[in-house]
Amino acid sequence: MKRTPKAAFFIVAVVILALCVTSIFGVYGKFGDRTDTVIRGISDIRWGVDIQGGVDVVFGPADENANPTSEQIDAVKTIIEKRLVSQNITDYEAYADAANGQVIVRFPWANKSQSAESLVEDLGRTGMLQFYEGNETTTDDNGYSIPKGTLVLDGDDVASAEATYMQVSETSTQQEYVIALKLKDSGKTAFANATKKLAGTGKISIWLDFGEGWAKENDQSRYQMLQDPDVNEAITNGEAVITGFASYEEAKEIADLITSGALPFSITDKSISVISPTMGANALSAMGIAGIIAMIAVCVMMVAIYRLPGFVAAIALCGQMALTVACISGYFGFIPSFTMTLPGIAGLILSIGIGVDCNVITAEAVRDELRAGKTIDGAIRSGSKGSFSAIFDGNITVLIVAAVLMGVFGSSDGIFGWLFSWLPVSTTGAVYAFGYTLLIGVVTNFVMGMWLSRLMLRSISRLKIFRNPWFYGGER
Amino acid sequence: MLKNYNFVANLKKALIISAAIMLVGVACLAIFGVKLDISFKGGTRIQYSYTEAPDLDKLQSVAEEVLGGDVEIAKDEAGDQKLVTLTLTKNISSDQQESLHERVAKDFESSKLTVFNSNTLSAAMGTKFLFRCLLALAIAAVLLLVYVGFRFRKIGGLTAGAAALVALLHDLLIVFFTFVIFGIELDNNFVAVMLTILGYSLNDTIVIFDRVRTLRRRSDASLEDVVNDSLHHVLRRTIITTVTTCVAILAVLGVALAMGVTSIVSFALPMLLGAISGSYSSLFLSGPIWVRWMNKKAAKA
Repeated sequence: MKRTPKAAFFIVAVVILALCVTSIFGVYGKFGDRTDTVIRGISDIRWGVDIQGGVDVVFGPADENANPTSEQIDAVKTIIEKRLVSQNITDYEAYADAANGQVIVRFPWANKSQSAESLVEDLGRTGMLQFYEGNETTTDDNGYSIPKGTLVLDGDDVASAEATYMQVSETSTQQEYVIALKLKDSGKTAFANATKKLAGTGKISIWLDFGEGWAKENDQSRYQMLQDPDVNEAITNGEAVITGFASYEEAKEIADLITSGALPFSITDKSISVISPTMGANALSAMGIAGIIAMIAVCVMMVAIYRLPGFVAAIALCGQMALTVACISGYFGFIPSFTMTLPGIAGLILSIGIGVDCNVITAEAVRDELRAGKTIDGAIRSGSKGSFSAIFDGNITVLIVAAVLMGVFGSSDGIFGWLFSWLPVSTTGAVYAFGYTLLIGVVTNFVMGMWLSRLMLRSISRLKIFRNPWFYGGER
Repeated sequence: MLKNYNFVANLKKALIISAAIMLVGVACLAIFGVKLDISFKGGTRIQYSYTEAPDLDKLQSVAEEVLGGDVEIAKDEAGDQKLVTLTLTKNISSDQQESLHERVAKDFESSKLTVFNSNTLSAAMGTKFLFRCLLALAIAAVLLLVYVGFRFRKIGGLTAGAAALVALLHDLLIVFFTFVIFGIELDNNFVAVMLTILGYSLNDTIVIFDRVRTLRRRSDASLEDVVNDSLHHVLRRTIITTVTTCVAILAVLGVALAMGVTSIVSFALPMLLGAISGSYSSLFLSGPIWVRWMNKKAAKA
C-alpha cells in the first residue's frame, strides 16, 4: 500500500486554515473608492426575516372557491414583485404555489415610516386593466400623468394574455417573442372599432389603474402604463398579437401584468407574519456566541479524549464549519447563496456536535486495534476500514431527514419541494434553512470528517514524534 | 459503572424506567393538554413592545372594538424586552391590523407600543399545514425504516427494523412529552426536532446493529452475548458522541435562555432531551428487545 506523505497533513491543514479565514472574512478588492467582493464572507450572508426583521405574507384569492389557474397565480406574483421593486425592496423572495392557488412573499422590512401591514395591503392590491386610444397623457390635479384618450376596454373584457414565440409576418419566416391577447365577446366590438379607426396611424395604450386610495397613500399616479403598441390593422376577431419584445422574460412580465389586471377575483392576504428587527438582532448575536462556545468545547473535548486523532478531528471540524459557511454565503460560484435563519444557525451548531461522530467512531476503532496489539499504521488502516459502514449508514439517515425537512418547509420550487407540492407550504420559511444546514453538514462531513481526517491522521502519524501509541489512545 | 452491565438481561429495568417516564408524560397530557401554535390551528397573535406598562383592560377593550372578537391579553418578556401579547382565535386582515396599530399608537401614546412580532393565519390553512407536517414525519419514518431493514437483511431485517421502531417511538414520545410538560406550543420547531431526533436516534441504533452484524460473522456466541458485547463495544462511542452533541445543544440552550430568545429555547430544550433519549433507547431498548424477539421467533420455529 502506498504511504501517505508526511507533507500531506501540513498541506491539508494550511488549505483548511485558508478556507476558514476566507470564508469568515471574505476577500474584497479595492479599486479606488469601489469595493468588489471577490469571495463572499460571513458579512455577505443573506439573513432571513426572522433575523433582520421583515414580513412573511401569503396572498390568495379573496373568494375561497375561486380556483385560480397557474397563469393567474404567476400574474399575481409578477405584480407583487413589481410593487416590491418599486418600493426599493429588492432582496425579497416570492414563490408561486399554483397547486394551492397562493403566492408566498418574504421580504425584510425595517422602515419606521410605513407599517408592514399597510405595505402588505398595497402589495395585494391588483390594478384594473384599461385600454385607451392613443398614448397621449395629461396631468391630474396632483400633477401626475394619466391617460388622455378614449377608454376602449377594461379588465373584464380580456380573456387571456400569453407570452409566446411565433412567426408574425407572412412575408418572413422569422419568429419573435410576442404576447397573444384574447378578448371576451364583450370587448370584441369596441376593440374592432378602435383598431379600425387607428389602423396604420395610431397606438393603443394599456394601463393599470390602482385607484384613488392607492395613489393618495403612495403619492404616485394611480395609472401605470404597461405598453403602447402601434395598431397595424383592424382586429375584428378579438385576437390580437403584441410584438416588439426582446426576450421571452420581457414579454412574460408584461403578459403577467395584463393578466393581473384582468383577474376574475380579488387578491387578499391570507396570512401575515411580521417580525421586528430588534427581535432578530438579539437572537443573531446569541447564536453567534453559542456557536463559538460549542466549537471550543467540542474541540477541547476531542483533544482531551483522543489526543492526536482528536487534534485532527478539531482541525477537520473547523474545516467542516468553514465549508458549510461557504456553502451558505455563496463562496463558490456554483453554489448559490442561501438565506440563513435562526433554526438554520441552530442546525449549524448541532452539526458541530454530530459531525465529530465519525471521528469518534474512527478513533475508537483505532484505539481498540492498538489495544489488541496492532502497530500504529495497521491500527489506523483497519480502524478506518472497519468503521466506514457505520458512519456511512448514519450519514444516510441524516440525509433522508434533511431532505424531508427541506421538502416540508420549502416552497414547491425549492430543493425537495416537489415532495409535498400538493399541500400548502409553511407560511414562515425559517425551518427550511435548518434542513439545508443539516444536508450541507452531512456532505461536508463526508469531505472533512471522513476523507481529509483520515488523510491527515495517516500523514501525521508518520512523523517521528508521533510514533508513540499513547498519542492514539494505546499504552505508552 | 456500566462496565459489566448485562443490557439484555436488564431489559425489564429499562422498560420500567421508560414506562414511568411515559406515565408522567401521559398524566401531564391529560392535565395540561396539547397546545398548538397559530401555524397549525390558525388565529392571530400580536406582540407589542412597550416602554411604560399600558392599562391591559383598556388595551383589551380597544383591541376587541377594532378587531371585533374576543381578545386575550397577557404580559410577556423576551430578554430585556417588555412585551404585551394579544391573541385572537380568528385570522384578521392587514387592514384590521393596520387600524389596530394606528389606534393603539394614538390611545396609548405614553406606552410607545410598537409591533414586536405578529402572526395571523386562517384555521383552514393551519389544518392543512399540520397535515403536511404529520405526513412528512410519516414519510421520513417509513423511508428510514425501509433503509434500516434493507441494510440489515442479514441480521433479521424486519425484526431489527421493528426493534429500531420501538426505540424511535420512545424518543419521539419523549420529545412530544417535553413540549407537553414544559407547556411549549407545537409549531414548526416541533416538526424540526421530531425529524432530527428520528434521524439521530436511528443513527445510534445503526451503529449498534452494525457492530452486531460484524460480531455475528466472527463468532458463534449466543445472541444475548453478541448483543451485550456489541453494546459494550459501542458504549464509549455512544456516550462521547451524545456528550459532544449535548454540549453543542446546551451552548445554544444556555445562551438562548440567558438572552431570552424564546423561539430557540423551544427548539433546543426538546432537542437536548430527545438526543439523550436517543442514545438511551439505542443502548437499553433496541438491542435487547431485538434479542427477545429473535429468541421468541426461534422458539416458535
